[in-house]
Amino acid sequence: MLQELSDWLAQSQLNELFSDTTRLETWLIIPLSQSLHILGIAIVMIAVGMLNLQLLGFRVTRQSFAEHTAQWMPWIWIAMAILLVTGVVQTIAEPTREIMNYTFRIKMIMLAIVLAITVAYRRQVKKDPNYWSGERQGLAYSLASLSLVLWFGIVAAGRLVAYVGGIEA
Amino acid sequence: MWDVLTWIDSTQFAETIRVSLWMFPALEIAHVAAIAIVLGSIARVDLRLAGLVSRDRSISEISHEMLPWTWISFGLATLFGVLLFLGQPVRYAEIAFFDVKMLLIALAGVNMLVFEYVTRKGVGRWDRAPIPPVQVRIAGGLSLAFWISVLVCGRLIGFV
Repeated sequence: MLQELSDWLAQSQLNELFSDTTRLETWLIIPLSQSLHILGIAIVMIAVGMLNLQLLGFRVTRQSFAEHTAQWMPWIWIAMAILLVTGVVQTIAEPTREIMNYTFRIKMIMLAIVLAITVAYRRQVKKDPNYWSGERQGLAYSLASLSLVLWFGIVAAGRLVAYVGGIEA
Repeated sequence: MWDVLTWIDSTQFAETIRVSLWMFPALEIAHVAAIAIVLGSIARVDLRLAGLVSRDRSISEISHEMLPWTWISFGLATLFGVLLFLGQPVRYAEIAFFDVKMLLIALAGVNMLVFEYVTRKGVGRWDRAPIPPVQVRIAGGLSLAFWISVLVCGRLIGFV
């Protein structure tokens, strides 16, 4: 199924447009999209990094965890929207490189886990500001450590897609 | 200058970075991760200086939270960037985007120094202001513009 999606994208008109390197304005699409993508990563990295470090007990802000999550969540969603749009553009431009690549697939799974953890932080703390302390401290530590490791994994996987994990057609 | 770059190119060290299968990707990952943290942290300070976010919190509080991240990750990004550069110094120096990127980093540095030593003098008067004076907002806007341009130039280097 993914193979078909990849093939279909490879034959689409958008693919032709995005991978046309003969004109300056189309040649610029991918580097500009990648730059915006890194900007989105920058926002999420700082946001997720700060939230996780606070849960791990580092005093990264004077805000409470509830205030801190409320501050970052809108930014995380804005950044995710940027990442989705630019990521889709890059996938349409080079469908085989992304979709038919194990590193890319692992990256998407890691992303889903990190997002789920971050959304859980916010949801629970909204109902109970002390949700992640006391008896759930251990759980909070585990989730924060996992989330941090996966975040670096996502950034690394994003770059590694260019080098490893290609699936033979 | 050119002689130095040519000499570096010919060293065993440069050769090692060039031919290694994993060194370039590893350095690149570290470089990009560090840059993401530089950008994310400085952008937050810049947007506050511009009066666009967190207007209910003081500028010094936001700076205090973010700037240690900026400095540490800038140091790391530079370290990994220099190592990437040393692998192929002549090639990079010949790429216009690389030269422009270095110039933009220098301009971001000048903007920061002017802000630190001139504009910031009256910080007591506007530290808590939801919308700071115009010269402060300009400093924030310029900083953001410089860093985003650095990012774009950096990415373009990979496409020529």
